[in-house]
Amino acid sequence: MNGKKSEIKMSRREFLGLSALGLGISLAGARPATAVRAASPDEVAILYDPVKCVGCKACQMACKRWNRLPNESTDPLRIYESPWGLSAITWNIIKLRRTEVGWHFFNYQCMHCADAACVEVCPTGALSHDPLGFVSLDRDKCNGCGYCTQFCPYGVPHLQVANLLTGEAKSAKCTLCQDRLWAGIGGPSCAEVCPVGALTWGKRGELLEKARARVTELQSRGMNARIYGENEAGGLHRLSILLDEPEQYGLPSVPKTPAFARAWQRVIQPLGNVAFGAALVGILGAFLFVRRKIRMEEVR
Amino acid sequence: MTVQLKGRAEAITIQWIPKYTFMERLGHWLHTATFVPLAVTGMILYFPFLQPLAQGEAGLLIRLVHRIAAVIFGLLPILYFIIQPRRLLLNIREFLPNKDDLGWLKGAPAYYLLGRHEAMPPQGRFNAGEKMNGLVMIIAWFVFGLTGLPMWFGKGVIPPELYRWLVVFHDLAMIVSVCMFLVHLYLAVAHPLMWAGLVSMRFGVTSADYAAEHHAKWYYGPKRAMEIWEAKKREAAQH
Repeated sequence: MNGKKSEIKMSRREFLGLSALGLGISLAGARPATAVRAASPDEVAILYDPVKCVGCKACQMACKRWNRLPNESTDPLRIYESPWGLSAITWNIIKLRRTEVGWHFFNYQCMHCADAACVEVCPTGALSHDPLGFVSLDRDKCNGCGYCTQFCPYGVPHLQVANLLTGEAKSAKCTLCQDRLWAGIGGPSCAEVCPVGALTWGKRGELLEKARARVTELQSRGMNARIYGENEAGGLHRLSILLDEPEQYGLPSVPKTPAFARAWQRVIQPLGNVAFGAALVGILGAFLFVRRKIRMEEVR
Repeated sequence: MTVQLKGRAEAITIQWIPKYTFMERLGHWLHTATFVPLAVTGMILYFPFLQPLAQGEAGLLIRLVHRIAAVIFGLLPILYFIIQPRRLLLNIREFLPNKDDLGWLKGAPAYYLLGRHEAMPPQGRFNAGEKMNGLVMIIAWFVFGLTGLPMWFGKGVIPPELYRWLVVFHDLAMIVSVCMFLVHLYLAVAHPLMWAGLVSMRFGVTSADYAAEHHAKWYYGPKRAMEIWEAKKREAAQH
């Protein structure tokens, strides 16, 4: 036993083989480290102008009708804002907001981020970036994990929980009427139905031009107008004109969750894969090495 | 043609001594039987290449399996505590670090890779490696429970800011405990020096020779174990 050499020897082939295995394991689970996604001008988008909005809720109705969403029980204490917010069965809603110009209407729906945290954390691929730019949802793929509901910087996706104990659930949110767009029937039903042109849809680049002109006009009328969604979260596909700071609308000036989601999915998890790779390679290396160095005959 | 026998033929007799109680073994194997399905179903959400298994009905099923296994996994130490509270506390105390662990850390590479017996100072019923495994699993049990239960029941109740950190820590606990599990599995199943480990976890007994070699402080008692080891070192130095 004492005559054994103490240095650890390994052939070059074995070393290279093990290294390649480790690298393979580490990369097997890695997502491609693509650059942060950004919106392009040819993609489809919606523009919302709260100054034009009369709060008729036709958009809410059209959304429910097209997407076959059931009614939601209303709160008798809330006369206008009812239902009180977005839910698994309410994907589009007008709420009252008090900003520096006073009370006015504001429409909430999915913002369709180009750099969407929900897509980043979705383990099933049910949420994805459609080539047309919006964030598509395939309910058949969804397994109800609900990560999207916790990572969305706007609190948009909601879980339709069938059973809390078993976890049976499905995510739900505005899809920009993806079925209408894919079938070529027309644009998002909320924008199609809006009687005053507060919600309009079209190519994102053209809508941005329109929004800029509108902001200039509103500013000349003394309003503190600005565009929201041009660059936030990689650029939104639901552009809004705001009359005050985003926070007054409950919108973050800088959405932080896309970066958090990326750090989790593209830094922490790949480091975990490196750990798994190192553990497996170490074990395999030890196995190959030890079976030559230690003879069972000498073991007590 | 003659066949040359090396050494003389003799019957090998192993003296078996008790090592693990029935409850320790039952707890160990139920822990394994829940940890493995938990790791597998969890990894289906973790690895993007397993995405097809995470989708739709299959995804609902793996999430259900994860929950059923999680309930048993979570209850095991609690049941053990209810049935044998003193034994559980004793086990936890056995896992706490002491100065023997430094000697193990120093000697481990030469011992486990090269089989140099004199490099390993005497150890108790659990050596530093086994303690590390035990402590990682104990800490992971707490982290899995403290993050997993709010992930299950807390959606829409706890702030999303907190929830986002919970999923990250659930992942980290999985990464560390699965790596530990892989090393543990190798040592228990494939390492020649550890041949009696699996036997004792299955049948509760270990070989007296094995115990003297691997767990001398437990087998001989601390004082006698050190005397024997000192003598062994002197003998090795003379050669």
